[in-house]
Amino acid sequence: MPPVPPDDSSDDDAKALGRKGEADAYGALGLVISGVLVWGGVGFLVSERLDNPVFVMLGLLLGMGAGLYLVWFRYGRQQ
Amino acid sequence: MSTSVLAVEGGEGFVSPGPSTFVYPPIFGEGTFLTKPMLIVILGSALIAVLMFLATRRASVVPSKGQFVGESLYGFVRNSIALDAIGKPGMKYVPYLATVFFFLATMNIAGIVPLVQFPATSRIAFPLILAVISCVIFNAIGIKRHGLGGYFKDMMFPPGIPWPVYILLAPIEFVSTIIIRPLTLTLRLTFNMFAGHLVLVLFILGGEYLIFEYSGVVGIAAGTVAILGSLILTAFEGFVQLLQAYVFTLLSALYIGGALADEH
Repeated sequence: MPPVPPDDSSDDDAKALGRKGEADAYGALGLVISGVLVWGGVGFLVSERLDNPVFVMLGLLLGMGAGLYLVWFRYGRQQ
Repeated sequence: MSTSVLAVEGGEGFVSPGPSTFVYPPIFGEGTFLTKPMLIVILGSALIAVLMFLATRRASVVPSKGQFVGESLYGFVRNSIALDAIGKPGMKYVPYLATVFFFLATMNIAGIVPLVQFPATSRIAFPLILAVISCVIFNAIGIKRHGLGGYFKDMMFPPGIPWPVYILLAPIEFVSTIIIRPLTLTLRLTFNMFAGHLVLVLFILGGEYLIFEYSGVVGIAAGTVAILGSLILTAFEGFVQLLQAYVFTLLSALYIGGALADEH
């Protein structure tokens, strides 16, 4: 085993922050996609059931809004 | 399957490579199951095992050349991926992360190794299984750390939202963590490899066609440019292949780190 590197905490912090940025970027994308998928999917099922296509639209918009709200809630607020 | 045909006087025309490029018949004829991508995975895994064995055999304080290279690679995964993304508790997961990284790097690089020249990871099954394994691991770690209820409560019900809104948000959080994460891991890797391989095949086959079939001054000049371009693209593709192996491993580590964290 090569030796564990010296604990240079300031450098580590900067790196960790960069990693967190990357993770947050993918996380935000995932939230928006899932929002559209989940509520768009529900809207699609309701539309099929009621034979009225307007619910797909409502579901997609609702999901997109909810996804964007979650992105703001998780990543966008001033801590 | 799209095969666009560029009609050329006197020739049969150039059939551009499409998704069919990625479909290989069984090596030993109908009825057998072994195909080229499977062979690459088997031989590649064996290669990693042998190299790692040679690198760690007779390990000493003053490392031999092989031991040094092996330890450098392992150290890279440990320091740049596990410790960076997870922190101290990440040491426990270095063996898994290193395995994933070496496996993916080898399977991706197979795309530019002469004579092999096929990235096994461009077949979706291989990245998919790895992504599912990563998904099971980080969820299991989260459940073990916070308890079943606690883990899903942290994931789906972040504090500070009026309760009726949870009806809207909880399913999104659930789907984004359990389904979207492994799915994006899979698709990002698969289609980076898929597209890269397709571009290389197009440049090489196109260049060959221009030089030998189309010929003439124009054909040979354009074909030469295409072949030279394919060399540059091969170097670029090598970079993308290593980068994608790194990204896949890093994201797996970040998900594990997220599952271990006290607050999401």
